Order: sequence, then C-alpha cells, then structure tokens
Amino acid sequence: MRRLRAWCMRFAGLYRKDQQDRELAEELESHVRMHIDDNLRCGMNPVEARRQALIKLGGVEQTKENYRDRRGIRWFETLLQDLRFGVRVLRKNPGFTAVAVFTLALGIGANTAIFSVVNAILLRPLPFQDSGRLMMIWHTPPQKSFPGVARFAVSPANYLDWRSQNHGFDQMSAIGFRSLNLTGMGQPESVTGLAVSADFFSVLRIRPSAGRGFVADDDQPGRGNVVVVSDAFRQRHFGANENILGRTIKLDDQSYEIIGVMSPKFEFPSGVQLWMPLAWTDKERGVRGIHNYLVMARLKSGVDKEKAQSEMDAISNNLAHAYPTDDAGWGAVVMPLRDSLFGSVRPALLVLLGAVAFVLLIACTNVANLTLARALGRRKEIAIRTALGASRGRVMRQVLTETVLLSVAGGALALLLAHFAVDSIAAFLGPRLRFSVEIGLDGWVLGFTLAISILTGIIAGLAPSWHLTKANLNASLKLGLGKTDSDPGSDRARNVFVVVEVALSLLLLVGAGLTIRTLYLLQGVNPGIDPHNVLTVPLAISDAKYSSADQQTNFFNNVLERVRALPGVESAGAVSSLPFQEGGSTEPVIAEGQPIVPMADQPEVAVRLISPGYLSAMRIPLEQGRDLTEADKAESRPVIIVSDAFAKRFWPHGNPIGKHVTLTFVPGPSREVVGVVGDVKLDGLDVTRPVAAIYDAMSQKPQTQMVLALRTSSPPTSLISAVTDAVHTVDPDEPVVAVVTMESIVDQSLGQQRLNAVLLATFAGLALLLGAIGIYGVQSYAVRQRVREIGIRIALGAKRSDVFLLVLRQGLKLALIGICIGLAASLGLTRLMASQLYGLSATDPLTFAAVAIVLAIVALLACYIPARRAMRVDPMVALRDE
Amino acid sequence: MSEKPDVWQGTLSVMVLKTLQTMGPLHGYGIARRIEQTSGDLLSVNYGTLYPALLKLEQEGYIASEWGVSDNNRKAKYYKLTRAGRKQLEKETREWEQATTILARFLAPGEKSS
Repeated sequence: MRRLRAWCMRFAGLYRKDQQDRELAEELESHVRMHIDDNLRCGMNPVEARRQALIKLGGVEQTKENYRDRRGIRWFETLLQDLRFGVRVLRKNPGFTAVAVFTLALGIGANTAIFSVVNAILLRPLPFQDSGRLMMIWHTPPQKSFPGVARFAVSPANYLDWRSQNHGFDQMSAIGFRSLNLTGMGQPESVTGLAVSADFFSVLRIRPSAGRGFVADDDQPGRGNVVVVSDAFRQRHFGANENILGRTIKLDDQSYEIIGVMSPKFEFPSGVQLWMPLAWTDKERGVRGIHNYLVMARLKSGVDKEKAQSEMDAISNNLAHAYPTDDAGWGAVVMPLRDSLFGSVRPALLVLLGAVAFVLLIACTNVANLTLARALGRRKEIAIRTALGASRGRVMRQVLTETVLLSVAGGALALLLAHFAVDSIAAFLGPRLRFSVEIGLDGWVLGFTLAISILTGIIAGLAPSWHLTKANLNASLKLGLGKTDSDPGSDRARNVFVVVEVALSLLLLVGAGLTIRTLYLLQGVNPGIDPHNVLTVPLAISDAKYSSADQQTNFFNNVLERVRALPGVESAGAVSSLPFQEGGSTEPVIAEGQPIVPMADQPEVAVRLISPGYLSAMRIPLEQGRDLTEADKAESRPVIIVSDAFAKRFWPHGNPIGKHVTLTFVPGPSREVVGVVGDVKLDGLDVTRPVAAIYDAMSQKPQTQMVLALRTSSPPTSLISAVTDAVHTVDPDEPVVAVVTMESIVDQSLGQQRLNAVLLATFAGLALLLGAIGIYGVQSYAVRQRVREIGIRIALGAKRSDVFLLVLRQGLKLALIGICIGLAASLGLTRLMASQLYGLSATDPLTFAAVAIVLAIVALLACYIPARRAMRVDPMVALRDE
Repeated sequence: MSEKPDVWQGTLSVMVLKTLQTMGPLHGYGIARRIEQTSGDLLSVNYGTLYPALLKLEQEGYIASEWGVSDNNRKAKYYKLTRAGRKQLEKETREWEQATTILARFLAPGEKSS
C-alpha cells in the first residue's frame, strides 16, 4: 500500500518540476544559512563558517540530483525525454517522417485488415457457450462411388442410430434446409427455413429471446406446425415491437404458429429466417440412403474429439454390417463446428496472412534503410553525445525510440486504412460464409496492431542503431562535411536490406502471379454452357398445393409456355439445379454392359431433371441423337440424355444411343439413352475431372423445385418484371425472387479466387512499390556519398555513359541477387498454396520468369534516376565542395 | 576531522521518525543536528543525504511538510510526523529492539559451545 502511494507520488513528481526544484533550492538555502548562523555563534569567521556548512552539506548539485531521482521515476523521465527529442527530430525531417510513417502504415494496415478477418473466423470462439465442444458429424462416402469426396450429408435413419448408440455426446441434432413459400402477407415470398430436431437450441445452448424453443413433443409428425423466427423476420413482416407469439403464418400453404423469436444476433446458419421441427413421419425416419441432413452435436465434458471419433467409427461399422445395402462403405467423421463452417476459407486466409507478413517485413526493411541512411548523417551528433558520456545503450535507445515512434504513428494511420479495408472485405466475405461472424476492429485486433507496431519499430531500429553506435568515435568526430566519407559496414547493411527487399517482393509477386493466372485460366475454362444472355428464375411450389405429379409438371409447363411467348425470349427450359450452384444431386447407376453390383459399389453420377428447351437455352451442344421433346411424357417410354463423359466412361467404344441405364436408388424401369450432349462443369470451373451426368426428363420424374433458364435477345435483366408477371398469371401466390443472370452465377462461383487474386495482387503491388522505393533510396544515397569520387572520375576523363552504367550496374547487381534468392525461396513456399491453384503447378515456370523480369525492370527504373544524377555530376562543383 | 562512522543504510529513516516524535515539527537542518547530538556526536550525517530520505518518507506518507519560520526568523520547511508515521515508528522500534537483542545474545561473551 505504502509502495503504491510512493509510486503515485513519484508519478505526480513528474509534473511541476520547476516549482519543486525551486522549493528544494530554497530549503537547502535555508539549511545552509541556519548552519552558518550556528557556526558563527560558535565563533568562526564568516568565510570559514560558510565553508564548513557547505562541506557538511556535501555537493549541492549532487544532492539535488539524488533528490530528483527520488522525486520522479528515472527511466520514465528518460523515456519522455527520448520521446520529446524523437518527436522534435522527426518533425524537423517531415519528408523522411512522412515516407516512413506511410510505408509502415501500409504494412501494418494490411496486417491489421487480414488479422481482423483471421481473428473473426479462425481465432475468436464462436458466439456459443463452450463453443469448443460443438462438433459436426459428417458421413464419409465410399470412395469407389464418390472419388475425392471427403464429407457427406447424413441420412435420417443413420442419424437416429448415431444418436441412440453414442455415449460421447450430450446432444446430437439433425438439421435440414427448407425453402418455403410465405404467403398471406402481401407479396408471396420465398424464405429460408431450417428444419431441426427438438434439441437443436440446446446443442447450441441458446434460447429464443421471447417465447420458447422446441420440445420433444413438437418434433412429432402432425404436431410440427410451430416455428421460431429470427429477429430480422419479425422486423420485416411485423412491427418492431409487436408481440407476435401465438400468431400464425402460412408456409407452403400450411399454418404455423410462432412460438419463439430469436435475439437479433442469432442467425445460424447464415440466411436462415426461421426454424421449425423436423417432425419426421415413421416413413421418413426409416430413410437410410438419402443423405440430406447435417448433424451437429455437443461433446460430453471429459470426452475429446478422438474418443468421440473412435466411437463413431465403431457405430458406423455396426451399421454397415446391419444395413449393407445402404451403409456399406459409409463412415462418419467428427469435425469441430468451426472447421465445418470455415474450413474452406482457412488455407486462403493463411496464405494472405503470410503475404501481409512479408509486406510488413519489406516496409520494415525500408524504414530501417531510411533510418540508417539518415542516421549516418547524424554520426557526428552521436559521437559528441557519446564523448559527453552517453552510453551505447542510451544512444541505441534514442534511435529505437525514434523508430518505434514512427511505427506507432504508422500503426495509428494503419487503423484508419484497415477500417476501410475491413469493411469492404467483410462486405464481400460476409454473405459467402455459412455463419456470419462479426469482422471488425475489436480489442484483440487493436492489441495486435499495437504489438506489431512496436515490434516493427524495434526491428526497424535495431540494425541502424547498432551500426550507428558501433562507429568509431574518433573517426566520427574527425569527419569533415560527412559527404564523401562512407562507412563500409553500413554500406553492406544497406545492400543486404535491398537484397532482402527484392527477394521478399519477388516471393509475393510469384504468389500473386500464380493466383492471378489461376483466375485467368479459370475464366478461360469452357463451362460447357453459354452463360451470356441467360436469365435464371428459381421456382419452388408447395406439394400441399400441387400434390400430384401431373399438377407439378403442368405448373412448370404452363409457366414455360407463357415465358416463351414473351418478346425477347429466344428459348426457355427448366432444370432441377443450375450448374455452379449447390444443390445438385448424385445417384448410383447401372449402365448397360456394366456388372450388376451392390449399390454401395455402384458409380454415382450427377442427375439433373430438365424440360425440353433447357439444352438450347443453355446452348449445351447436342453431339448425338435428339433433345427431349414434348412427346416424352410421363406415360411414354422413359428416356434420358447423357453427357459426353458419361458415354465415354461406360461405353468407350459402342454407340451410346439406344443403350439403357438404370437409376437404382429409386427402383424403376431402365431408361433409354436418346441423346449425348457436351460436358458441363456442373460442380464448378475448378473441377478438372469431367462430370458424368444424366439429364432425366422432368415430365417423367416431376419435382417441386425447378429453375427456369431463359435465353434472351435483349439484356436478360430487362425481362425480370415480365417474367414475374408471367409466373403470377399461372399462380399469383408463387414467389419470384433471386432472379439473376447465368453470367453472374458463373462469376460468383469464382468469388473466392477473385478475392484471393485481388488481395494478393494488392499486397504484391505494395511490395513492389516498397521494394522500388528501397532500391531507389539506397542508390541515391550511394550516389550522394560518391559525388567526389564520381567528380574525379569525370575530371580524369571517364565518359558520362560509363558513370551512368556504373551506378546502374551496381543497383542491378543487388536486384539480381535478390531475385535469385527470391526465386529459390518461392520454389519452396508456393507449394503451400498448391491447393488453391488451378491448371498450373506451384512452380509454374512462366509465372516465375515473368515475375523475375518485371522485378528486374522495376529495379532498373528505380536505379535510373540516381544513375542520371550521377551522370550529371559537375566535376568542378563536386571537387570544390569539400 | 575525526573518523566518525556514517549513518548506515536503512537506519536514517527510523532516526528521522524518532527525532520528529521527540522534538515535534522540525526543519531538515534541525533534524540532522539532532541526530548527531543524540548519537553523542558518534555519527556523522552527510546533510545532503538527508533530503532524499525526507522526500521518501513524505512520499510514503509517514511525514508531512510545510513552510514555516525558524527561531531566528529564517524561512524553513518544517517536517512533522503523521499518524501513519507514528505507527511505522512503533513497528520499526519493535523490530530494532528484537534485532539488537538477538545480535547482543550472539555477541555476548562466555557462552562457548563444547
């Protein structure tokens, strides 16, 4: 307690120093006078009396110094002194300060921006209680049927068996997405719902902010007409403050009672507006072979992931024996919820984090370089200070204080830059994440920024301060104007800086180059369709209203008929799910001529339902046979069209037309192949393997969810209102939302790659700029140092072009060494991003060569100005200048 | 000058507190003289070291100071004991008594171990 009080007093002692000094002087003065008085009284003569009093008091200045030490806090005062001095020095060199601060701000800002994303997505716990125990459990499909697929959704019966047989989880909840038509509240609308088992909210340990969550009783068939809605849903459809508990809404023509409202922050997974019970019927509970649910679970305390995994392995094994038809080859994998949600963006984020670290290193090197160059001009000042008794540590501390000051100022500016960068990254990334996390500058990010700012300042200041204080005191003091003397040690240090900068820049450029080439190659990939001038219209009808197969087919046919009649529509068709979008399904097949094997061993192929006209609307080329026609009706002979890859895979030699294929999943008659069409990149442009696909006739296997594809002669978006009207003439309650062009869908599918390319290119551009500034700075400094030497050379008859080349050659030499080191490092490092590349290897020679050449040219340009300056040195001026 | 031992580390503050307790408010010069007198002129106080010690005690709250006028009409800074200072003095007195007793036992002649 006393200690603390003393410290507070000492901190207080930092203020009002002048007054306190005056008081002490007065006190000592009165002390001496009293002592003299006493001495006089003892009979001394005045001179002796004063002398004795002063001797007894000891050195007055020393006393004052001791007193001051005790009064304040020495190191703190020194720090303040250094800071004040640093600020003064930096203010006297506004040019240097501005360049250094800005350089550091760019470097630190890039790090702050990327770190804030990493922090939100990979580091900060998910906003659920004890979120580390939240897991998702996926199926692992048999590799024979699904080569390369690591995880798969889960079937209801398997989920129920997992749930009843496991001992490692507290709860296990199944969830399935539902697209529902909301009617009876103005314009019909399509909403995203999540059907969940009753324990969904308790797995997450979360409750509705009003009303209640689900209980086991809600999860029974026939009782499931209750919903919990999101706050956003309530805001949108009801008043903000209205009590909506107990109100009913119409979803897919069925009434649901609102029993709960979630808090505004809860939207899990992203985009879900309401939650409803699964309420599986006994028939649905028995489904083992259709995998369309996700499973979330909470680990019991004391059970770790590995233990839970081994238990799930055992359960899967049992199920595979008990139900060989459906479960042979199907395993289970336990995966932390965070990895399930964000695992796909993780590698890209780590690459970006590495990239910004390099940018910061380059910025650091640059500032070290600038500081060193500038500090050498201060050698004399430092020498004098050392001669006056400043220790080496003290001088180093002064230089470090200056660089840390620079970097903290840079950090402050960086926060401003990062603020805008983070906003745009978050705006881009937000809708692409399965769970929207708050990406922003929180305390952790601020702390991170402060930490790297200080660290950066120290790193940038270490080399210059070390060099500066190592200099020979005598030599420094003897310096003349300091213009022609160079110090071999610091020259070497500067050259090393340049080499490092060039190498780092090259590394980043290679990374960016590979990503950009990937994007470029992907954009050049033939998607198998012609996405230009195509409008897509997703439609979902409720099977309560359209219960029979005929009604469903008729709805879509009627809509198509009206749409085709619209002016500007060239052709139109419907498909069960669009290429490049999620939601496509696969089914096991037996193609004619293939051995008949159990379902688990049968190859899975993509299956799409299409209407006549779809192929021509998408311009998928018909290679053999015919398209589907209106004549292919429900009751007529079942026919299909297969993709080229399908035909080549199963009938590499024979003619595919007339062959038969059996879709074994839902037992039915075999279908006859009537046409072969070109391959479409159904699963994304970056999937190299051609997709074996079957196009089944919509009329022969009706569905409630289809997407219309319209080929238009005018800009597709101009038709949106006409199409909406056409749909509403068929059914006024049918929501028409999310109408987009096929081009934007293709474009969206490259979003991740594009973000990577843009960010990496930005960072690489930064690195290139900083590298160029670094080379330029070092070369101009070198020229300034050598003005007299160059003057002598010219006076002795050296040609100006020789001088020019001399400087250029020197700069280029450093750049080339840097490039070589950078290339070697790139060979090792780019392998880490191989998973994000497409169509080229991580050591793509073209990229490497191009990047090296670009960097060499930039280095050349950076040397050009100093070289010209050297060439123009006037020998008379240079020699007289001493 | 005779060879007088300096005040050893850590004891100056007790002496200051004790002096203030017996003498009441006193200025720095007075404290220094009093300490020398009390020690029977065996100790020599470097008057300069006294002031940082006074500052320390003041920062710790054991003494307080204010400006006043001395007997012979000189302006001087007077120090006085605070309540906390009084307590501290009691505590330190106890500790010193204990320490000296123990030390005295060690140094007492005649008790030889076999």
